[in-house]
Amino acid sequence: MRRYRESTGEVAERSERSRWRAATLTDRAAIGYGLLVVGLVAVSYVLGAVGWLPDDPSRMDMARLNAPPGAGHLLGTDFLGRDILSRLIVGIQAYFLPGLLAVAISLALGITGAPAIASIIAGKIQFLRQKSFIEAAHVLGLPTRVIVAKHILWYNCAPLLIIQATLGMGEAILVETSLSYLGFGVQEPTASWGNMVQAGANYFFHGKFWPSTAPALAILGTILGFHLLGDGLNRLLEPKSAS
Amino acid sequence: MAARELALTALLLLGVSLVVFVILNLSPGDPFSVLLEGQAPGHAARASVHEALGVPTTWYGRYLAWLGNIARGNLGTSIRTGVPVAGEIARAGPNTLYLTLGSLLVTLLLAVPVALYSASRAAGALARGLRLAVYLVSAVPVFWLGYVVIYLFIHRFGVFPLLSGSAEPARHGWLYGLLPIVVLGVANGTVSEVTRHLRGELGRVLTEDYIRTARAKGAPVWRHAFKEGFLLPMTEMIASKIPFVIGGAIIVEQVFNWPGLGRMVWQAAQDRDFPVIMGIALVAAAFVRLASLLRAVIYAGVNPRTATD
Repeated sequence: MRRYRESTGEVAERSERSRWRAATLTDRAAIGYGLLVVGLVAVSYVLGAVGWLPDDPSRMDMARLNAPPGAGHLLGTDFLGRDILSRLIVGIQAYFLPGLLAVAISLALGITGAPAIASIIAGKIQFLRQKSFIEAAHVLGLPTRVIVAKHILWYNCAPLLIIQATLGMGEAILVETSLSYLGFGVQEPTASWGNMVQAGANYFFHGKFWPSTAPALAILGTILGFHLLGDGLNRLLEPKSAS
Repeated sequence: MAARELALTALLLLGVSLVVFVILNLSPGDPFSVLLEGQAPGHAARASVHEALGVPTTWYGRYLAWLGNIARGNLGTSIRTGVPVAGEIARAGPNTLYLTLGSLLVTLLLAVPVALYSASRAAGALARGLRLAVYLVSAVPVFWLGYVVIYLFIHRFGVFPLLSGSAEPARHGWLYGLLPIVVLGVANGTVSEVTRHLRGELGRVLTEDYIRTARAKGAPVWRHAFKEGFLLPMTEMIASKIPFVIGGAIIVEQVFNWPGLGRMVWQAAQDRDFPVIMGIALVAAAFVRLASLLRAVIYAGVNPRTATD
């Protein structure tokens, strides 16, 4: 597939491959890390959904409370001796589908972040309308709705939508973890990353940092991955965004 | 123009209040069962509480009653404590204002230098490192950063006393007030986007023809680039990130035991104290609306063409 890119006043063609080759090392690292995170989250979601877990996330091990990472419990245990790794995997259920749904709604209908996205796309359409390939499509007699749906939205705005969806997912994770931290989302004993941080709070101040820190690091690494992926793709696919 | 904006604001606040009210009424639990807690209230007991407090039994009846009070400038009284909501908001509001505006300033103090530096031509390895740091900082969960800071400053080094809410003036009181502001400013999750937007806009403006002209004339470039390349993106970011800062404030007030609206609304949510929740929701919505009005004013000031529509 080829896309068109304006540089120095002329429309130039560039294929996907050369774009990846032209990207800086930093961008490649950012996108690579982001894809790794997205893959890890998706695989973990499936594992949690079918119940393939290292341990039962609600089984208490009274002999090992607030245990550090080690053999038996790869990422340690929480204040009730429950396996943190299993709870982290199960905790993805709390935001995965709701997050996807929220992103889908905001992209398609426009409730949460939509004014921003809509204005970005409107700007992009304005920019593309003056391009000669759109004129060519008109001259060839294609109906306007086909031009808008296929040539403008699909070929040229798909990257934009992917970028916005990626950034939106990061935002959704932020919102879900905050709500469940405050006790308004998923409730104990069901695991979510936010309520896991909260559950470990009392022990944190007595020097048992790990049960709070493990889910906090999971949140940090995941949101970082979605942000880096979104922005990396942005620089790769939308160089010098249309003005 | 002004009348239209005012009407729009009123409509917006009305919509927000209706949505919040419906959500509160759809969610399980109501303030009256909290009052009757532990008494296994029957239907008759509920009805008598409703009657004693003069509360309509249908949800729209209660909404209209609330709306009628609002029209007369009365936010109602807390069901839990019986204290007027308006007074409570006036008491706790300044604390939250101090927290949110202060942390917004911290966010900008972090984001702006990084954006300016990496938009300049000298950008290299250091700029990349700074940008990565900004991303890292934006992904830190604010509650966890709060724990770390509290542990370090209170439990480990003992710089501050354990309780801040005591009557006697705390040691280093003013400094203690800075901790939540810095924590919220750093970790409200918006630093990376503010940096990215400002850097992108400034970079774009610096390649515009009128900047090249200014450069050729030997005129100061920053003065020409200031409005479009700095003022507008800054305004845009502040207005669109205020909801995130408010959301973060609820968490930070919780973590730091900060006597503001965020902790008040959290407590009210535990008690299902609807008048308090409604009052604070209204204030928060008005605050967000104010920020977007301010943005419109600044946009109109910079580019008078946008003022006509």
